[in-house]
This record gives sequence, C-alpha cells and structure tokens, in this order.
Amino acid sequence: MLSSKQQNIQNNIFLLGLLTFGTVFLAACEQQGPQSYTIPKEKSLVTNAPQTDEPKMQVLPGMQSFADSASDITYQTPENWTEFAPSTIRKANFKIDNASGTAEVSVTVFPGDVGGTLANINRWRQQIELNPIDESKLNETITPFVISNHQGYFTKLEGNNQSILGGILPFHGSTWFIKMQGDILAVDEELDTFKDFLSSIRIEDNHH
Amino acid sequence: MHTLLKFFSSLRLTVVLLTLSLVLIFFGTLDQVEYGIWETQKRYFESFIVVWSYPLQAPAGAQLQWLKLPLPGGYLLGGFLLLNLLAAHTTRFKLTWKKSGLFCIHFGLILLLISELLTDIVSEESQMAIDEGGQTNYSETVLENELVFIDRSASDYDTVHTISTDLLKKGKRIAIPNSNLSVRAIHYYPNAKIARAPEASEASPLNRTIANKGIVERIDLQVIEQAMDYSQDAINTATAFIEIFDAANTSLGIWLVSNVIDERFPPQTIQTDSQSLELALRFKRYYHPFTVELIDFTHEKYPGTEIPFNFSSEVFVNDLNQNKKQKALIYMNHPLRYGGLTFYQASFANEDKTSILQVVKNPGWLLPYISVLLMGLGMSFQFGMHFIKFSRKAKH
Repeated sequence: MLSSKQQNIQNNIFLLGLLTFGTVFLAACEQQGPQSYTIPKEKSLVTNAPQTDEPKMQVLPGMQSFADSASDITYQTPENWTEFAPSTIRKANFKIDNASGTAEVSVTVFPGDVGGTLANINRWRQQIELNPIDESKLNETITPFVISNHQGYFTKLEGNNQSILGGILPFHGSTWFIKMQGDILAVDEELDTFKDFLSSIRIEDNHH
Repeated sequence: MHTLLKFFSSLRLTVVLLTLSLVLIFFGTLDQVEYGIWETQKRYFESFIVVWSYPLQAPAGAQLQWLKLPLPGGYLLGGFLLLNLLAAHTTRFKLTWKKSGLFCIHFGLILLLISELLTDIVSEESQMAIDEGGQTNYSETVLENELVFIDRSASDYDTVHTISTDLLKKGKRIAIPNSNLSVRAIHYYPNAKIARAPEASEASPLNRTIANKGIVERIDLQVIEQAMDYSQDAINTATAFIEIFDAANTSLGIWLVSNVIDERFPPQTIQTDSQSLELALRFKRYYHPFTVELIDFTHEKYPGTEIPFNFSSEVFVNDLNQNKKQKALIYMNHPLRYGGLTFYQASFANEDKTSILQVVKNPGWLLPYISVLLMGLGMSFQFGMHFIKFSRKAKH
C-alpha cells in the first residue's frame, strides 16, 4: 500500500494533469482575435526587370540559330512602353507599367506553323488558366489583322487574373507571335496601343 | 475525487481508449482519400469530436449517405490517455527499484503525448519563395488565409492588422485595431472562382457581386462558389465580401477580397477622413526579424538525364536587429537552422531562378527523441531484469 504522504503527492500529480487538460481544452476553444504588428516599409512589389514569362518553354537545339537567322523587324515603340534587349529567342521585349498594373510584350518567331493557330491560341489560353477551345470556337476568338502587309490574326483572351493580346502572323514558312500578357486592367488600357504597335511592325521580306 | 480517480485509473478505460484510437486512425485513413492529409489531420487528430460520414463515392454511396459515425477526436483521446496514465500512477504504482523501468516507460509515454500536443499548438509550417538576387522577410502558407489591414502612413514602417479567416466565417463584427472602424464578412467562400461578369442579361443575379467599393468599381466581377479542393498541392481561392463600418456604425461600403486579387492588382483601400488603410485577403504570412537573400540556386542533374542530382540554395541571412550577416548553403538533408526556425530546400520555380524553402518552427522537436529514448531505456531495464532473474533461476 502507498503511504499517505506518497498518496498525497500522487493525488496532486493527477490534479495537475486534470488542470493541464482543462487549460488546453479552454485554449483550444478560445478564438484568436485580431493581431497587429509592424514590418519594415515594403517596397513596391512591381519588379522592373521583365519576368521570364514562359517558364515552361524550352529553348530547343537549333531554335536559337533559327531566331538569329530570321528576318529583321522594325517597329515603332509606343511612348509608355519600356524596351529591353532581345533575349534568347525573343526578337523584341517590352515592359509596361501603367496605373492599372503591369504587362509584358514579346515578339518571337518560330519555324513552321508551331502546331497551327488553334494549338497556339490554346497554348495562350492555358497560360492564363482558361480551358482550351475547339475548332468551332476558333473563328469567334480571332479576327483577321494585317501585319507587315501579310494576312495575320489578332486575338484578345481574358483569364481570371491576366489577359493576353496576341498577334499571329504566318510569314513565308515561319510564324511570328506578338504577345502582350499582364494584369487584366493594364492590358485593357493598352488595347489600342497594342493594335497600333502591330500595324507598325515591318518584317524584312526577301521573298517578293 | 475518489470515484473520479477510480474511473480514470481503470485499466478498462485504457483498453477502451486504445481501441477508440485504432478506430479513429482507421476512419481517418479512409477520409484521407477525400480530404487529403492536412484536412484529415485537423479534423481527426487536432479536434475533440469528429463525425465520419459514409463517402458518396464508396460502393452504394448514394443509399448509405445517411450513415454517420461520431468519434472522439485526437485531443480527447490523447487527453484521456494522459489522465488515465497519471491516475494509474496515483493509485496503483509505487516507485521501487523493481518498477523503475516501468516508470521510465510511462514517463516517456507521457512526454510523447505532451510533445504531440505541443507540436499541434505551437508548430508552424510555411514556405518562403525567393528569386535569385532578391530577398524576403516573410514566409507564407497557402493552407490558411488572413484578412489584413495595412497602415502605410508611417515613413519607415508599415503597421499590419490581421484577422484570421476563422473569425470571418462566423460573420461577427470585429473591430480593426488602432482605428475606429469595424469589419464584418457578409459572405465567406473557402474556395471560389472569380471571373469577369458576362453581359448583364446572362448573369444570374445570385452570382453578381454585391460589392460596391475597391476593385469592383473598375472591373465587373462575379464570384462563383466552388467546392474545396483538398488534393495535394491544390490552392483554394478564398474569397469574401466584407463590409466596413465607421465609428458611427455607418457602412462605408462592401469590398470584394480574395487571395487571387494580390500584388498584381492595384491595392484596395479604405479611405476615411483621418486614415487610409489597405485591405487584402491573402495567404497567411509569418514575418521574421531577418531577411533571407538568395545568392544562387543550383539544380544539378545526372549527366545526360533530367533526373535531379542535387538542389541547393546559397543564401545570406541578414539579421535586421543585430546587423549581422550569415552565409549558408541549404541542400537536401542539410537545412539551415536560424532564429528557432528550420529552412529546408523544398522546391524551385521560374526556370530555376526562384528557390522555395520550407520554413518550420517546432520548438518541441527534441521531445519525441527524448521520450523514445526514455521508453527504450525503460524497456531494456525492465526486460533486462527479468532476463537476469530468469538466467539465475536456470542456473540453480
């Protein structure tokens, strides 16, 4: 049998356990109210350098040399667009930062038709988290648009967070893509400027 | 007191509790299929009561959907087991040399139960994404959201007031600290889809936004409620319509906030005569008194294959209080421990230009090791004694 002193101590241990459990029970039931803290001044989160917006696009062997050998282009840079040096496969690169947000414009060229207009539209749709469309809906999505004296297409895609304005131009065996992607409002604001930019593009044409 | 002690110290209770634990784990495992690991952990093991219902997708799910089974949750079982063990020691056990191994085992078990509870309550897990050349002073978790009000009026710091979404769900009026404003959520959606509203005639009136301030003034949006997605790596779009009231209880308007309306959009603000506050619903953030700067992220592959061989992040930790700078290399199985936090290499993004670190705060991480050690020692002692006794008998 336990001595009465030991019994007392052990009773106390049990009581302590009961108390701990009770406290935790209450703590778990209690809801946390609002909390406040200070943080060092946050810098504007809009980055100045253009982001690599096509993270999943791999530069395949030969693509770089194709891009290098592709025709040169000229264009008129709209006033509020900031131009950046062309990167690996981009022929031109712009960053837009207007009151409504940011957007980026890239001009790329690829050999062939890169899977066709439908595949390219769906690739863009996927980039702004829209479901793919089928052939029957394609004509509602694109409108004919003349770029550099050749028949091309213009499209406007609006996702949940981002929009894309695009120009697609099949050009003597290769395809040019002019794409603006960014915040919905920022892109909305640039719609006319983008169309003007498309019209201003001249691609060096050695085929006529 | 005596009857209470008698009830809690009974061995029958131990058996019942252990059996219920088995049952809880069984049904928890079943529900993990539907709810994923995090939600199941919360529902089954970080709770007092849980109700299991027959899953719809199981055989005859449509007919058996009424089948529900209430079960004691992990906190209740763990708490009762702890009390059971303590009560048993109060009434039945006496500390002698012969029993010291048993005491050691039980003490280890008590420590294990307590450490599990401690981990549940105080541990925090979040992720820190840093771009090469960039630095950050916070980590965030996509599993939880918070409503924040940011006062940017001071020149050298910002004041952030956060309200957990658990409070929003209840629709109660909550005062915003350091202001005479209060906030109430009219609707809270754990997951929703926000889209541009179609032409007025097509939109069903239910889906149309009821908000009248902030982003909806410039862009016509609609909110469509979605079921929570519990699958691994899924991110739910928490969204709410919140109404702000001033000191005189007058409504200042209704704002639409969502974790997809983030830094890519111009900030939404509440403007009063005396104050301007930015508001947002965002992933829960943990700010740290230091910044982590990513110098270089390397992603090595086995030559000629896409199989990763090593990921590593070379970082600088800049302590804001002590003006201290520390360099570290984080790679697989080699985390950085700093300021009570552990940084593991978790993932990467953005063509290997962004490194994602898992940030874990678990002050009780050592306790399970100690308890297992104690139990091991206790068992060795107890069985060792029996063995010696047995071998002595065998000699005679």
